[in-house]
Amino acid sequence: MAQLINRNLTRRRLLQAGTAITVVPFLGIAAPGILAQGQTKSPAKVLDFLTNADVAKAEQEGQLVFYCHENEAGTAGIMEGFSKDFPKIKTSYVRAQTGALYNKILSERSAGRFDVDVIQLSDLAPAVDFQKKGGYEFYVSPESPAYKADHLSTPNGSFFWTGVDPAGIAYNTDKIAAGDAPKGWQDIVNPRWKDSISCKIVASGLQFVQWYTLRKIYGAGFWKEFAKLNPHAFDSRVQLFDRLAKGDDMITAIGEYPAYILFKGKGAKVAFVAPTDGLVATPLVVGAVNKAPHPETSKLFVDWAMSKRGQAWYQSNPNLYYGSVRTDAPPMPTGVRLADLKLLYPADWDDYAANREVFAKEWNGMLGL
Amino acid sequence: MERHARPVTAATVPAGSPFAVQKFAGYGVAAVAAVLVLYPAFFLLQAALDVGDPQTRPPTAYGLDNFSGLFQFPQILLNTLTVSLAATVMALVFGFVMAWILARTNVPGRRTFEQLMAVPYYLTPLLGALAWSLLGSPESGFINQVWRELGGQSYLININTPYGIAWVMALFEGSVAFVMIAAVMKSMDPSLEEASQIMGASRVRTMLRITLPLVVPGVLGAAIFVFAEMLGSFAVALVLGLPNRYYVVTTAIYQLVQQYPPKIQVAAAMGVSLFAVMFVMLFLYRRVVMGGSYVTITGKAFRPRVADVGPLRYILLGVCVLYLFAAVVMPLATLLYASVQKIAVAFPAAENLTLDNFRTAMSMNAVRSALGNSLLLGFCTATIGVVLMGLLAWLIYRSRLPGSGLIEYIVMFPQAVPRLVFAFGMMWAWVVFPIPVYGTLWLLLIAYLTVFLPLGVRTIAGVMLQIDKSLDECAQMCGAAWAFRMRTVTVPLLMPGLIAAWLLLFIASIRELGASILLMGPHSKVITPSIVESWFGTSSELTATLALIQTLVVAIAMVVLVALTRRVAAQPVD
Repeated sequence: MAQLINRNLTRRRLLQAGTAITVVPFLGIAAPGILAQGQTKSPAKVLDFLTNADVAKAEQEGQLVFYCHENEAGTAGIMEGFSKDFPKIKTSYVRAQTGALYNKILSERSAGRFDVDVIQLSDLAPAVDFQKKGGYEFYVSPESPAYKADHLSTPNGSFFWTGVDPAGIAYNTDKIAAGDAPKGWQDIVNPRWKDSISCKIVASGLQFVQWYTLRKIYGAGFWKEFAKLNPHAFDSRVQLFDRLAKGDDMITAIGEYPAYILFKGKGAKVAFVAPTDGLVATPLVVGAVNKAPHPETSKLFVDWAMSKRGQAWYQSNPNLYYGSVRTDAPPMPTGVRLADLKLLYPADWDDYAANREVFAKEWNGMLGL
Repeated sequence: MERHARPVTAATVPAGSPFAVQKFAGYGVAAVAAVLVLYPAFFLLQAALDVGDPQTRPPTAYGLDNFSGLFQFPQILLNTLTVSLAATVMALVFGFVMAWILARTNVPGRRTFEQLMAVPYYLTPLLGALAWSLLGSPESGFINQVWRELGGQSYLININTPYGIAWVMALFEGSVAFVMIAAVMKSMDPSLEEASQIMGASRVRTMLRITLPLVVPGVLGAAIFVFAEMLGSFAVALVLGLPNRYYVVTTAIYQLVQQYPPKIQVAAAMGVSLFAVMFVMLFLYRRVVMGGSYVTITGKAFRPRVADVGPLRYILLGVCVLYLFAAVVMPLATLLYASVQKIAVAFPAAENLTLDNFRTAMSMNAVRSALGNSLLLGFCTATIGVVLMGLLAWLIYRSRLPGSGLIEYIVMFPQAVPRLVFAFGMMWAWVVFPIPVYGTLWLLLIAYLTVFLPLGVRTIAGVMLQIDKSLDECAQMCGAAWAFRMRTVTVPLLMPGLIAAWLLLFIASIRELGASILLMGPHSKVITPSIVESWFGTSSELTATLALIQTLVVAIAMVVLVALTRRVAAQPVD
């Protein structure tokens, strides 16, 4: 027996045992992610993308419930893209502004209702908050390697940037000659635009990003000058361009590139200016929700949305035109790649989130609220 | 149409315990109303007093800070009062004049006009606002474009002003005042007016001294209802006020609850504060109604007759035509014109014309299912609502059961709080309810029955107050049980009011926005919020198309329903 013990208990075996003992606690920390991955086999290829979801099960679930900040047409567009690839899965959605949508999902969850599979928000701050509250299902998509770490949640597995919405300045070419058109961000505070310039309301994630980034560059006085122009504020990019196209406003301080493409295509007399400092941009974040009623479908949707195929759909749908942050993303319909644009993001996302109340107070005050 | 109760004789009446059924029905219906209103109201009040973390429910701390914070918004409160009062006055003037013309004079084509008067109401204020925005925006408004083309300077009209907003609200909410006042006028004994004229009073004097006082409950009920409706009006102020940075309470609330983190507590406090205003108004209304006698339907049979106004009828016809042109023809024509353009402008250009908006609209599955859901909900809300609200009206104004006055205050609560805010109370209430109605059409049905309690009760009560209690008492003296008296005396006499209430509830459900926008789930979409979403996110041209499609479908449904109800109303009730 002793011989047997001596023979088996070699130095190598002792080292192996020690290593195992050392690794176990780390395994414990990483357990959710590893478990999530461990339950699946190697990713399967579906159409032309990889997924850890069981597609047969997802089709058996037969439903996807999607909560989305995007407008009706855009939300329906996203669902249409997914349905085309997975016609056996019926889709339904609820859309609302990010603030209202986030409040709705929190209220539902606090009451023990879990009706939603996937959520898309237009602001990183509530997404991070939702992650802290344990709202997202931890799922690392096999499509993740096509994304930089900056465009994934920390740690990866809660949400990802399904697109970016960049904005510059846009103006009505009937009202403003090219020579008089603004060139940079500082031109939007020109007194000439008094009562004829537009922006977005406080609920807009992109407006918050613009306020934050330009305040960092030009100082707090920049927006005070802007407030003197009595800007008109609206919910959506379409409303801003609708007014611009009809001449109700001469210029919009937050001309989103996707809306510019849409209206240019309709023949509107509008022009887009990309300021030299860069285009302000906000991420649009998607994640599977935990305790989802259709868990396999939610994973499948995340993989589809992250895939080249899904990103191409997001980028080319006229009601979306999101810029893709996938490292191998195709160009946008105008031939421009998002990577070619100089984008202005908050340098410190924590500081950005901490300034939310300051922004809301200043912006609401400016608009008379 | 001659209306009278069924003949009741001692031989035909089933005897019954005098108060057992009455009490059971009265308290039963009161309990339903109380649950519908007080259950969500509790959650709303809780939110208004919540001073803790806005994203944590139930609240972690209570206080009055949200109410003291309201004084930060004096301009918004002033804007709300200005627009609501102006719109109420305009709506009552429109409503009264049109009701008098169509119910009491021999204006040509009055039956047709009477049907057409409902059209502005089901066109929805949203549609009206969209159309008038296209017509009257200072820069791009069609009227102003034509004005400048004709050599005018700047603009002719500006719809983005407080009175522009009030004008559109009055045009499209004013129909309610018409329906409520007209129902009362139709139930009036014309012999009173005839007596006045025989005594030498002029037509105008008769209208002011006889007709007007007799319709006071109807006018007052309409005034309170319309004012409350204006206070809670959302779509018109949103579409026409925002471009000019003109906020009223509802649009301010909308902005407060949409932002992150949402300021729901402040919004709830705003909503609860509005109830205080409405409480005072309801108190005054009760004082007026209870203080006088407005009975015009008595045991004496009468046939409602119209006054011959001579050549004046052609001028009155012009008034009707003008009203309907501003409220129906022009808005619909404008939307139709906008819907076939890529970018809506006053002057047509071949390259700007398109049918894509219709193609896109018809391909939107969400809208198609939303229309079906809206029609179904409209039918169910109206049918259940008429029974529930008719019983409530009887309970409040006719029964001698203790606590009936309190029920009236409870019933009025949803009218006093903007639906956008009350919807939060309903969401919190029904999401924790053990029966899973949340996210289904059932929740919307419950929500509609709740928020339309004041509308239905007011409409039916306006007519009920005119029915002499002695008719019911007479049947009671003959030994008729309560249920038998209801079926053979009260309900037949109330029939015009019940039909008006049914149609109002049907239309109101289809055009409902404030509550639906928050409560509809992924499988329970309805049409008006979908159109608003379209306005936010697609284009005014596609939105115009959707609004037209909604109008067409609802119009078809209305034609069928009006034909049916007319047949019911035409049948002798005995």
